[in-house]
Amino acid sequence: MSIYYYLSAFLFCLGLLGITFKKDLISMLLCLELMLGGVALLFILFSKATGFIDAQLMVIFMMIISACEVAIGLSLIIALYRKKQTIYTNDIKILTE
Amino acid sequence: MSVDIFLSLLTAAFALMVVFSKKTVVAAFALLMTLLTIAIIYFQVGTVFLSAVQVLVNAGAIAILFVFVMMLINLEQFPNNREKNKMKLIITSFTVLVIMGVLALVINNNIEMLSVENLTDNSMKALFDKLFTAYYLPFELATMLLLAAIVACIVITSHEKHEKHEKEELLETEKNR
Repeated sequence: MSIYYYLSAFLFCLGLLGITFKKDLISMLLCLELMLGGVALLFILFSKATGFIDAQLMVIFMMIISACEVAIGLSLIIALYRKKQTIYTNDIKILTE
Repeated sequence: MSVDIFLSLLTAAFALMVVFSKKTVVAAFALLMTLLTIAIIYFQVGTVFLSAVQVLVNAGAIAILFVFVMMLINLEQFPNNREKNKMKLIITSFTVLVIMGVLALVINNNIEMLSVENLTDNSMKALFDKLFTAYYLPFELATMLLLAAIVACIVITSHEKHEKHEKEELLETEKNR
């Protein structure tokens, strides 16, 4: 069971790497989901190791919040695509111009 | 023990596919497989209910939502290209490697404390007893959050009303002329 701790750290770091070096918004959201998956796995393992059942409830709330986040993020991407015909982060740096 | 290693390697392979695949659709299906293997890990650890919820909500709804959005957007004009800046890529990879090393060190130092299985009462009854007593208010707030997210999605993606207003304004200006 202890190897799963390393797996959750690996998933989190891989998602972080993906977010920093991907260019399009959909891939960045995919990597964000990967990070959330790693953190949820860590919560479950903590609940098993410490006997603290509240951590499993936190995973339920985390699933609810990640569902909201993905739904709103994807609808924002669709709205952006309709307005500017792009999903690249390089094309929407309006604050630096 | 060998099952643990096999499942971890499988999940890590699919997670690598999510980050390093060229096509975004392939990345979405790799994410679906990653979430499914995480659900298997939940099942193997013993939290059966959360495993079912993971399959239903995360793999069944969220990963498929990505595929639906990819159908709405013409992805062929957006290849999944990565950062061209080599220096930035090297620096971010190095930083992430350092973070991973620190996390592995922390886990390695506490591995004896962490690998003990203390949770004996693993039933759904214990979970829901807590959810509907101590966590009742956060649960209700989470339902309100979901409702707000639904309304927000509809408002953000619908633009017909906006366009109608703009057309009416155009017509009015033409009439005034």
